[in-house]
Amino acid sequence: MADGRILDILSAIDMQVNAGEAVAILGPSGSGKSTLLGLLAGLDQPSHGRVSLLGHELTEMDEDERAALRAGRVGFVFQSFQLLPGMTALENVALPLQIGRKGAARAQAETLLREVGLGERLSHLPLQLSGGEQQRVALARAFAGDPQVLFADEPTGNLDAASGQRVIDLLFGLRDRVGSTLLLVTHDQELASRCDRILRLDAGRLSGP
Amino acid sequence: MSHNWWSIAGWRSALRDPGLRLLIAAVLVAVAALSSVAFFADRVERALVLQGAALLAADLAIEQGDPIPGDWLDKADALGLQRARSIAFPSVIIANERPLLVQVKAVEPPYPLRGRLRIETPSGAANAPPAAGAAWLEGRLRDRLGAVIGETEVQLGEVTLRAAGLLIDEPDRGGNLFQLAPRLMIAYVDAQRSGLLGPASRVRHRLMLAGAPRQVEAMREWLGDRLPPGSRIADVENARPELRTALERARRFLSLAALCASLLAGVAILLATRRYVDRALDGAAVLRTLGMSSAAVLRWHLGQLLVVVIVATAIGSLAGLIGQQVLVAVLGDWFGEALPAPGARPVLVGLLFGLSMAVGFALPTLLRVGRVPPLRVLRRELDAPGLASWLVWLLAAAVFVALMVWQVQDQRLAGGMALALVAALVSMMLAGRLLLVVLAPLRRAGGTAALGLAALARYPQLTLLQLSGFGLGITLLLLLTVVRVDIIDTWQGSLPAQAPNHFLINLQPEERAALAAMLHQRQVPNSGLHATIRARLVAIGDRRVDPESYDDLRSRRLAAREFNLGFGTDMQRDNRIQAGQWWPSGRAHEPQFSVEQGIADSLGIRLGDTLTFDVAGQTVTAPVTSIRSVAWDSFNVNFFVVGPPAMAAELPVTYLSSLYLDRATEGLTLDLVKAFPAVSVIDVRPILSQVRDIMDRGALAVEMVFLFTLIAAALVTVAAAQVSRDERAREVAVMRTLGASRRRLLGGVVAEFGLLGLIGGLLAAVLASVSGYFIAVELFDLPGRFSPAIWGLGIGGGTLVVTLVGWLATRRLLGLPPVRVLNSG
Repeated sequence: MADGRILDILSAIDMQVNAGEAVAILGPSGSGKSTLLGLLAGLDQPSHGRVSLLGHELTEMDEDERAALRAGRVGFVFQSFQLLPGMTALENVALPLQIGRKGAARAQAETLLREVGLGERLSHLPLQLSGGEQQRVALARAFAGDPQVLFADEPTGNLDAASGQRVIDLLFGLRDRVGSTLLLVTHDQELASRCDRILRLDAGRLSGP
Repeated sequence: MSHNWWSIAGWRSALRDPGLRLLIAAVLVAVAALSSVAFFADRVERALVLQGAALLAADLAIEQGDPIPGDWLDKADALGLQRARSIAFPSVIIANERPLLVQVKAVEPPYPLRGRLRIETPSGAANAPPAAGAAWLEGRLRDRLGAVIGETEVQLGEVTLRAAGLLIDEPDRGGNLFQLAPRLMIAYVDAQRSGLLGPASRVRHRLMLAGAPRQVEAMREWLGDRLPPGSRIADVENARPELRTALERARRFLSLAALCASLLAGVAILLATRRYVDRALDGAAVLRTLGMSSAAVLRWHLGQLLVVVIVATAIGSLAGLIGQQVLVAVLGDWFGEALPAPGARPVLVGLLFGLSMAVGFALPTLLRVGRVPPLRVLRRELDAPGLASWLVWLLAAAVFVALMVWQVQDQRLAGGMALALVAALVSMMLAGRLLLVVLAPLRRAGGTAALGLAALARYPQLTLLQLSGFGLGITLLLLLTVVRVDIIDTWQGSLPAQAPNHFLINLQPEERAALAAMLHQRQVPNSGLHATIRARLVAIGDRRVDPESYDDLRSRRLAAREFNLGFGTDMQRDNRIQAGQWWPSGRAHEPQFSVEQGIADSLGIRLGDTLTFDVAGQTVTAPVTSIRSVAWDSFNVNFFVVGPPAMAAELPVTYLSSLYLDRATEGLTLDLVKAFPAVSVIDVRPILSQVRDIMDRGALAVEMVFLFTLIAAALVTVAAAQVSRDERAREVAVMRTLGASRRRLLGGVVAEFGLLGLIGGLLAAVLASVSGYFIAVELFDLPGRFSPAIWGLGIGGGTLVVTLVGWLATRRLLGLPPVRVLNSG
């Protein structure tokens, strides 16, 4: 709602992403990309329509059921990293494993952090890390527990070109190893082109590849 | 955020800030609590003084054997004082051809000047002195005479009076009224016509005065030099130490309750400011990047705070005024119609108090806003450096102590509270640090509870702040729930149902055995017999006691009067040694004195001083070996100065005792008078009920003030839970995104807040027990005791309430879609 009028952020969206596929949603700022991603991941609920994830109807589940679905099966990378400031890099990465009650969470987290090149920064707090390093911690956290689906929202949006490139290389490398389905939201044509398929979003409407 | 703090739009957005709203509520409650108590205490205190005055039927009364001189009356008129005279004497009346000894009191209008006279006449109730030719009869007198009110005629000396009304209650009945003979109240002019006021009669003339305190004091000053020997000034304070003690305690209870409420509100202010500042930092960083100086940023927020405090204080004062009106409405009957109107001073006190509270509790935290680095706009995790938690608390405590000293004007209460406050804060901080160390390893564990508990270790500053807030809140609540009830019970218990209600004086040594036998046979509870003698203090060390050398009136009067010197082997149970030592049995033969603390302070008597008394022409000298406090409101037999029995051997002592007489044994007074003609029996029931009344009313008033404490405590709890709300919201959103279930997150919160509540409650129980003990012993001179209820309520209640608050605060967050929190910054 804005000024008493209903504002359609997304409309007439009909899309499907197959298992193992890498799909980019490309669009300018304000086109509704992040909103679409939030809906697809079950982080928010649409006012109309249906969303299903891993064979489950998200729109018919409550917040708790959606969380249970995400636990250990869905990973996230955000533009603003969303690391917990009070936790060290290691604790941040171990968190999804602990939530999913997977054993040896800290050992796995440590391996992942080494994989993204942060083996020396395990006990650093987020604010002691650079933006690129924080995003690499976020990547390690996203891949902890080998998720079936990975949602990435402008993962390089807050980074310089070099750091961004490193993060993207790591993202696709990890994805290849784990075999996750990838849904990537970006306004960067070059980044989108590394995906199997590109969907364009403009003013809340989706157009084909 | 607008940087014009007078802009309406800026205010509208600022008022959306939950921290600011909490801050307003906290200032409002602090001011409302304090000002309603200030308003109320102001009025109650004046009413209590009035009620004390009711025992004299005046503000000031002068009593002597000779008629009141005309120039005294002229002076009273010149000062604009109300005045009434009375004459009291024992006499024999004849009615229905039967003679009977009565205590006559002749009064002139507008007696009584204070308090109320209650009379029943055949034509209805009355409250004024009888007209000439009429008499009011006490119920006992009517019964003994077989009189019919409205018909029977009574012969008193040369006048014949008609029994026109039944005397139900007279305000100044207690104290000096001897219960030997029942009361006959007549008109002043009839006493003068009776022919009974001859030179040999045992007549006491009394002048009663009432008016504005300044005029009453002026009259007292004026009388000072003119009072002939044998004249006595009576006022509430010197007439009845038991009443003074009761008033003093009631006043302390009220002050203590108000202080606890405002301290709690202060803690809420501190916590709310922290939240307000946390949220204001982003806006402040933007303003800094736009070129605003840090001083200007700080000024903007200070201006906002000032406006908020002034508005909240004004509303708080208004709420205080309404609050005290509610108190008055509830307690109205207790005070009669005499409750004075509230003064303007409490409004000013409220404003100053609100501002000072804001400075002490909010300013140290607010300073952070000015120190925010502009780079925060790019790196939001950059924090503004602030003062250490302990320093923030210490500054607040210092301001509060200063306010307390100013407001309470009770050094002992303020000192005790200050000490307790610092002890509480230090132990909270230490316990918090210890907790953080203990919890650190949990960061490695991954269980539900560990996840919650590790949150405490992740935000050490917040944890210390929360623990202090919860802990202090629970401590003060415990103090006011359990300890308050204990102390008030002990206080009221110090005046048991069978408290002595009659005093028996002037018993000769040879009559002791017979009296003891009589009391034993009738099974009358009594205090035993105490040797006593009238004595005048003539010297302290080498210094002669000169009443004029003392500045204050009370000391002057104490120095001038004769008082009862007591003798005894054991100390009375309601006495407590403050300095020195009560004589051990082996040293009881040595001359020495134990002096009551109040009189020692007034007259400047110290431990080790040698006191010299003039006792019926003999000089008695001995050193002071102990100073003791006396619970005068216990109504036990007590003396200002006591010596060991050996000192009494050579002195012409008499004996006194206190008795409890009920309806069944009331008749004993007549038998006593027949058997021991020299003995006087004094009925203290009116004062006893007056003191009981003060106790009950004091307790009730504290209950009312306690309501504010409850509101303030609720604010503290909410504020303490809100302090970490932003961090918690983010954590919850991220964990939800990563798939944590609602149950799991709530489990963590329960573990986190449960532990905070448990530790806060445990510390609070210890602190409340210890400070409760000291409050009872040091501030109220009551026996201290430890209540087991504190532990259950502190630990169990603390854990439960804090957990519930944490659960409620987080439950709302769980309902929000994670993406909304993550996108909010």
